[in-house]
Amino acid sequence: MLPRCVFILCVFLAKHASAVWPIPRSLSVGTSPLKLSSHFAVRLHIHAPPPDLLSAVSRTRARLHSDRFERLVLGRASADASALEGAPVLSSLTVTLRAGSPIRTIAEEATRSVDAKSESYVLAVTGNPPSATLSANSTLGLLRGLTTFEQLWYDSEGTKYLLNAPVMVEDAPAFPYRGFSFDTSRNFYPVADILRTLDAMSWVKLSVLYWHVIDSQSFPLEVEAFPELAAKGAYSAREIYTRDDIQHIVRYANERGIDVVMELDSPGHTTAISAAHPEHIACAAKSPWSKYANEPPAGQLRIASLSTLAFVRMMFSSIAAALPGTMMSSGGDEVNLPCWDEDEQTMSDLAQRNLTIADALNEFVQTVQAVIKEHGKTPFIKSDMVLTHNAPVTNDTVVVVWQTSEDAASVADRGLRLIHQPSNYFYLDCGAGEWLGNDILGNSWCDPFKTWQRAYSFDPYANLTTDQYKLVLGGQMPLWSEQSSPENLDPIIWPRLAAGAEVFWTGATLPDGSSRLGPNVTSSTQALARLNELRYRLVDRGVNAIALQPKWCVLRPGECDLDS
Amino acid sequence: MKLYGFLLVAAQLPAVLCLWPLPRSLEVGSSALKLASSFEIHLNVAHAPSDLEDAVSRTKAFLKNDKLGRLVVGRGASDSGALQHAPALRSLQLSLAHNVPVRSITDEARLPIGTRSEEYSLHIPADGSTATITANSTLGLFRGLTTFEQLWYEFSGEIYTVEAPVSIADSPAYPYRGFMLDTSRNFFPVSDIKRTLDAMSWVKMSQFHWHVVDSQSFPLEVPGFTELASKGAYSSSMVYTPSDVQEIVSYAGARGIDVMIEIDTPGHTAIISAAHPEHIACAEASPWTTFANEPPAGQLRLASAATRNFTADLLASVARMFPSTIMSTGGDELNVECYTQDAQTQADLSASGRTLEQALDAFTQATHAALRAEGKTPAVWEEMVLDHNVTLGNDTIVMVWISSANAAAVAAKNFRIVHGPSDYFYLDCGAGEWIGDDVANSWCDPFKTWQKSYTFDPLANISAAQAHLVLGGEQLLWTEQSGPENLDSIVWPRAASSAEVFWSGPGGNLTTALPRLHDIAFRMRQRGVNAIPLQPLWCALRPGKCDIDS
Repeated sequence: MLPRCVFILCVFLAKHASAVWPIPRSLSVGTSPLKLSSHFAVRLHIHAPPPDLLSAVSRTRARLHSDRFERLVLGRASADASALEGAPVLSSLTVTLRAGSPIRTIAEEATRSVDAKSESYVLAVTGNPPSATLSANSTLGLLRGLTTFEQLWYDSEGTKYLLNAPVMVEDAPAFPYRGFSFDTSRNFYPVADILRTLDAMSWVKLSVLYWHVIDSQSFPLEVEAFPELAAKGAYSAREIYTRDDIQHIVRYANERGIDVVMELDSPGHTTAISAAHPEHIACAAKSPWSKYANEPPAGQLRIASLSTLAFVRMMFSSIAAALPGTMMSSGGDEVNLPCWDEDEQTMSDLAQRNLTIADALNEFVQTVQAVIKEHGKTPFIKSDMVLTHNAPVTNDTVVVVWQTSEDAASVADRGLRLIHQPSNYFYLDCGAGEWLGNDILGNSWCDPFKTWQRAYSFDPYANLTTDQYKLVLGGQMPLWSEQSSPENLDPIIWPRLAAGAEVFWTGATLPDGSSRLGPNVTSSTQALARLNELRYRLVDRGVNAIALQPKWCVLRPGECDLDS
Repeated sequence: MKLYGFLLVAAQLPAVLCLWPLPRSLEVGSSALKLASSFEIHLNVAHAPSDLEDAVSRTKAFLKNDKLGRLVVGRGASDSGALQHAPALRSLQLSLAHNVPVRSITDEARLPIGTRSEEYSLHIPADGSTATITANSTLGLFRGLTTFEQLWYEFSGEIYTVEAPVSIADSPAYPYRGFMLDTSRNFFPVSDIKRTLDAMSWVKMSQFHWHVVDSQSFPLEVPGFTELASKGAYSSSMVYTPSDVQEIVSYAGARGIDVMIEIDTPGHTAIISAAHPEHIACAEASPWTTFANEPPAGQLRLASAATRNFTADLLASVARMFPSTIMSTGGDELNVECYTQDAQTQADLSASGRTLEQALDAFTQATHAALRAEGKTPAVWEEMVLDHNVTLGNDTIVMVWISSANAAAVAAKNFRIVHGPSDYFYLDCGAGEWIGDDVANSWCDPFKTWQKSYTFDPLANISAAQAHLVLGGEQLLWTEQSGPENLDSIVWPRAASSAEVFWSGPGGNLTTALPRLHDIAFRMRQRGVNAIPLQPLWCALRPGKCDIDS
């Protein structure tokens, strides 16, 4: 009988828990019902509020009106009808910036340097008397608080309500860098898909879109200095992000608290440049590809060529100048040496300049990092460039750890800052089988599929010493698009991407003081219950997040655990 | 001999020809041919049934609206020179062989499995003179139209092929070419099912296996048993009414697809307890791992005469909703412990003097008798033959699912076989565990790629004398982790893989299959089905460049 008693207790607690995702660092809830007035208003007590804050408030009000999400219990909204009778009515949310806080736009706050962002907020919703206040030190903090506020409410035939007033939230992210890395080169995504993804990212308080915009397969980015790169390297004239598109996407992101880190992967992963500039690419589409690249087509920048270096400098500069953020990446993964060894021009350039290929690679990295810094941005680089090639990166470089989570400690040992993007925890594309032709039994190289539970179990401080903790800026889950496109974008990233969002927002400790990495955290009475709710909210808002379980389980937290 | 002939033809294929499934006999040329703007399809069939006329209209609409650019670099720009002086095809003529009865596509598609006529011939001269499709049935004409639609590309307003003349004599290697959808774990609106039926018909699938109910929800409104859905569906909006069913079977029939409904029994029935707790043993018993393969536990009280009668009546009523001659009573994953711990079942067993196996036999005989009284041939999951001692009619169709290795044992018992092995055909595998608090992988890892499915051999370990027992096979989607949100993307284009195995026969060439599979996936997208990309577009436009050995 004992397990059943414990089980009933869990359900009872779950009924009144808050399903906010990511869960706030500090959260207390009560047991009183509260309804939103049909005339509910958001009152901004801010002198001359910036327009993007006004827009954010409008979006919140629109969603409080249009969201039709009913609480995930048997009977859905009808189960709560009696509890709502005579419930107090909340007529407004009062929003204030703390005294002395500068009034900047959300976009300005979102593009400040990663260690200077202020995202904390305090939210209090009480039922007796009905009152709601949100305060923060920045407009970005207010946006985060509005996002939390939206997630507190359920719908019952048009009436919005909650059952757990008073709700007291004090919140701030554990890590400033909470990202999604997105490959738009292997297959193309229209702007509308990116905007929808940015919306959903903002709903789980992600802070960075790391845009892997180009690669060997296509060059969909219009570069002011070299329009021929996209004209000849994009899949088609329709599959190009114009400079206007880029500005639109970046502004849309920034207004939603998301900074954009553009990655121009180099010197590898650049075959598509050869369509316009064959003179800059070694081993372009050379066969057998497996000798010259990790995937087809082969092709790398001629790093030993001075004219190629000048071209690359101009390309980076042209893009960096157009972007407001303080971060930019030169990629740098999977450099292939036989590609250059067998390239006559590279060999003659090296001989002429009396350089080894390692010297040339160092010079290349220093060149692109210098351009990034000239534009006031922090350079990002992929971990193999540091760990495999010992490239001489600048001290302020942020290293994207991707091959395995175990590489983080090696990067930290070099005193470099890092973000986590380990393939063994975070790659959203893993587990869908080999995409190369003629490979009957091939699985994906990074099998198995990374479940949300797997991503959620990531410890950002694993194997690091406490004095290295400060080097960890956060992390990101990537989608590589060899087998993805608009057709499956939503289902392959949502709701799994939200797991990474909570890892890096909530950090090591859940608001009840327990460890996020403790036993049973992913059970369906704990994180899974909240994630199921987020999934249904995403679907409600038009994002095709997949079902994590049969609906039978979703409506009965605790009944579909391994031990239930 | 047949297989050898197939390989010979495949080896001669130009790389650009993109039909799926591949016709069993195919000759093409290399001339450009346009569709005339006045292009017409003439139905040279007296008293043509309306579903054939509708099929012709759909073909004409696809020809106009597909607007698929050829999957080559430039997407057809390089064809514009050849198109300038290309002859124009003004008409396609459809005719039936002499002295064959003129029945609707729907009626033909619902004939008993093994007696359907799907063969057709298609000829397209290179000079623009009339193209022809001839067949022995309207169903065969429909298959021919489906092939015809796939031959055409669009560039700059012209609809054309670069492979005229075309000469095809085609017929399926196996009659059962199916797809199974589970609509119980999560619900799918009728529109999703219809879109899926459309896509199935484009790859000449013949059978929709509808796993409509299970332990999690009962979304089927059954006349006489309406309480099952009203209390067991996820919500009142998540119910297939009799008119929904009628709409679905009509839609399927008109597209050459028979609908085999499955009411899984006696296991996988927990949700019946919402309306009839008296019929369900171990309903939602905990821990579920003792009583079922997944939550919630619950099985029909097969030893109870009342439950046996209830089940037989329920199945008979469902049978009357579906025109197919096949219906499945399921029978997978029977859990003995559920009955061992159920006091009523134990009392029923001792009162009747039966063992559990004997009770299962009596139960199955009763339900199958009810089906046969409605003119149905029963289908069952493999355990009913391999794990239990159940009396089954000789004509019972056995669905092999646990492992491809089990087909031989079913054949050894002389039952007809439909292949649905989890190790080749389960579309849901590889997406991780869905049970809470479990970091494991899916039970049937890894993900089944189209390549893995494509290499399935329907006759592996089956003797020549038993080969006639193999009716075909199907790919399956169990929907614990699926819903309308990912239906298209998890099913397509992978489910097309088995459609070719069972139409064209096994042994197809992976290297030449991939460009054709890209082609059908791109065409599906043009038609509004969210088929996923199998590769970067760079690869799709350059056949052979992204093989592991290229």
